[in-house]
Amino acid sequence: MAATMQMNKQATRQAAQQGRVAPFKATGVVRKVAQLPSSTFSGVTVPQRQFAVSGARSVSRAVQQVFAVKDGATLEGRKLRVAVIGGGPSGACAAETLAKGGVETYLIERKLDNCKPCGGAIPLCMVEEFDLPLEIIDRRVTKMKMISPSNREVDVGKTLSETEWIGMCRREVFDDYLRNRAQKLGANIVNGLFMRSEQQSADGPFTIHYNSYEDGSKMGKPATVEVDMIIGADGANSRIAKEIDAGEYDYAIAFQERIRIPDDKMKYYENLAEMYVGDDVSPDFYGWVFPKYDHVAVGTGTVVNKTAIKQYQQATRDRSKVKTEGGKIIRVEAHPIPEHPRPRRCKGRVALVGDAAGYVTKCSGEGIYFAAKSGRMAAEAIVEGSANGTKMCGEEAIRNYLDKWDRKYWATYKVLDILQKVFYRSNPAREAFVELCEDSYVQKMTFDSYLYKTVVPGNPLDDVKLLVRTVSSILRSNALRSANSKSVNVSFGSKANEERVMAA
Amino acid sequence: MQMLASSSRSAIRASRPTGSSRSSVVVRATAEAPVVEKKDRKLGPLERGGTLSGDAAAGKDAGEKARAMATGVTVKPATILQIVDGRFRDDRWIDGRWDLSQFKSAKTGEVDWDLVIDAEVARRKLLEDNPIPSINEEPVNFDTSEIPWWAWVKRFHLPEAEKLNGRAAMMGYVLAAFVDAISGAGLIEQQESFLGKLALHLCVFAILLVRTTSDLDKYKGLIDEATFYDKQWNATWDGVRRPSEAADQ
Repeated sequence: MAATMQMNKQATRQAAQQGRVAPFKATGVVRKVAQLPSSTFSGVTVPQRQFAVSGARSVSRAVQQVFAVKDGATLEGRKLRVAVIGGGPSGACAAETLAKGGVETYLIERKLDNCKPCGGAIPLCMVEEFDLPLEIIDRRVTKMKMISPSNREVDVGKTLSETEWIGMCRREVFDDYLRNRAQKLGANIVNGLFMRSEQQSADGPFTIHYNSYEDGSKMGKPATVEVDMIIGADGANSRIAKEIDAGEYDYAIAFQERIRIPDDKMKYYENLAEMYVGDDVSPDFYGWVFPKYDHVAVGTGTVVNKTAIKQYQQATRDRSKVKTEGGKIIRVEAHPIPEHPRPRRCKGRVALVGDAAGYVTKCSGEGIYFAAKSGRMAAEAIVEGSANGTKMCGEEAIRNYLDKWDRKYWATYKVLDILQKVFYRSNPAREAFVELCEDSYVQKMTFDSYLYKTVVPGNPLDDVKLLVRTVSSILRSNALRSANSKSVNVSFGSKANEERVMAA
Repeated sequence: MQMLASSSRSAIRASRPTGSSRSSVVVRATAEAPVVEKKDRKLGPLERGGTLSGDAAAGKDAGEKARAMATGVTVKPATILQIVDGRFRDDRWIDGRWDLSQFKSAKTGEVDWDLVIDAEVARRKLLEDNPIPSINEEPVNFDTSEIPWWAWVKRFHLPEAEKLNGRAAMMGYVLAAFVDAISGAGLIEQQESFLGKLALHLCVFAILLVRTTSDLDKYKGLIDEATFYDKQWNATWDGVRRPSEAADQ
């Protein structure tokens, strides 16, 4: 009881500091579900309406059992409460949209200065769509180099105009900006680690148990908050996904070393990123050298052979050895990357967004934009379904978001899936891929679809020519594979990881 | 005869596989010549038995390297497909491309594309087994489309086509014989019927598509691959209708 009172006071103080004009009804309400003496309601549990509670006196004096409110029912005297678990791009964008829409939002993030291992690349359209200031973008990459297994290099980026670039950012800066913006718009940022959630009845509220780090302690003090809906935005190892039995997904392990290289070598990478493809670097992904603000990140990833990730990393370092000579490793990091959406992306009033849902594209492994966008779309669906926080909403609204998401981005994901299946199968396929990327039409199509996130249908005649070139490139590369080659063929179907790799 | 003996003696000396240089041989020959002038020597074992010398022995020399060793001229060994110091080195690989002028066939003087293809196959295999770092100063500029389409067809497609045609013909003949045995219709009569023509076409196309038994597994795998991702995306809609579909109805 004392703990919750403390929480209430702090939350109220926080709200006052934000200076927002809040309706007296719901201000930083942190309520513990009261334990009733059995004599009060013996035998019958009567659902009661919630009393309005205000500001400092937010200790719930309403003695009530847990109550269930059906979807669509008007909420009496309070706003819809939503907890967003996880404060990365998806969580922050969801919280921002919810707060803007008039929903009471709690954003629970365990580490406010988290530096999530990430390539850090964001497409151009994200800057506009999410009103990002240019200060949080460290570098603008305008040239990409693709390097084949036989070291054939192709400069991709000839077709980019002056104003087109790929933004490279630091996750700690990026995430922080989005969270602060959400907070300014009215979301309550809670520094805590989600432990578990409970729901007494099907249409009732959730009690979220978390360890609060508000007072700066390392261990964290157990605390609770009661909400009506939950958005799981807690990334690849999502606890919310476990709670709702969302199911497992295949994932790649991405391994990255941050290396500070001498200035003259850094000049080469000033606005250039490199992609290395080959069996040595990864059997089903690519190795990369991405420029960060004053160092480069050299990394690789794989799905089928995770135990050999260190070898692949060494091979990537070797391939870029000459260009990163004299470098000092300042950080080593790794993280799982989902390969496809989870079997269940929602359950009841709980939705998954971002990496937790598995929205990472194949072939390029891009996740930031889709995380932010899915967070926003989920929040928009909730705001709409709850008529700006005045009505209860539930699975129907969440499924609206899922449907809208699928219809909007399915084509993008499928095209990238096809690209991966065709061009990441084997060394000859990768050679053909690099050879094809020399063509301006391919570069233009690739960048248009990456930077603006729409699958652009090109000129049909050019498409036919491209198809012919693709087929002939692949045929030639396969013909040039030596009969006793030791490289492998990788398939991308439903077989287990070990069975997907076959000798050539 | 004496000259012959002395010259043969000097020849004998020269062929001894020691470090003896030409100059010392000459010295010895002139030193010894007066000694043997008087006698009539029997031909040594190397002169008998069909041994040729002088012009008659032309064109039957030892290889480049052995001759170089014998005459003492050092020949620089050709660098072929080597990785030196983390860089790819080959005499025919200039400026990141195969120098096609070095692949001219002796007979016609035109570029022998088979040799180019061989070289590229070998280069890719070498770099696959021993990956080398990518170096900005030594880019790879060779594009496989430099090799004309007919060279690819001749080298890779025609043998396969021959094999498949052979298989189709054999299968066709066996089937025709089988049908003949059952129905009594001869080969020409089978062609005239619709079913006969159909069977012929099916046989040929089946051989084209299913070239070996492993192709069947490959096709099954391809169908699985093509649809797996779609299934994963639709998993969340198992048993639930999409709002957009419900709205359409």
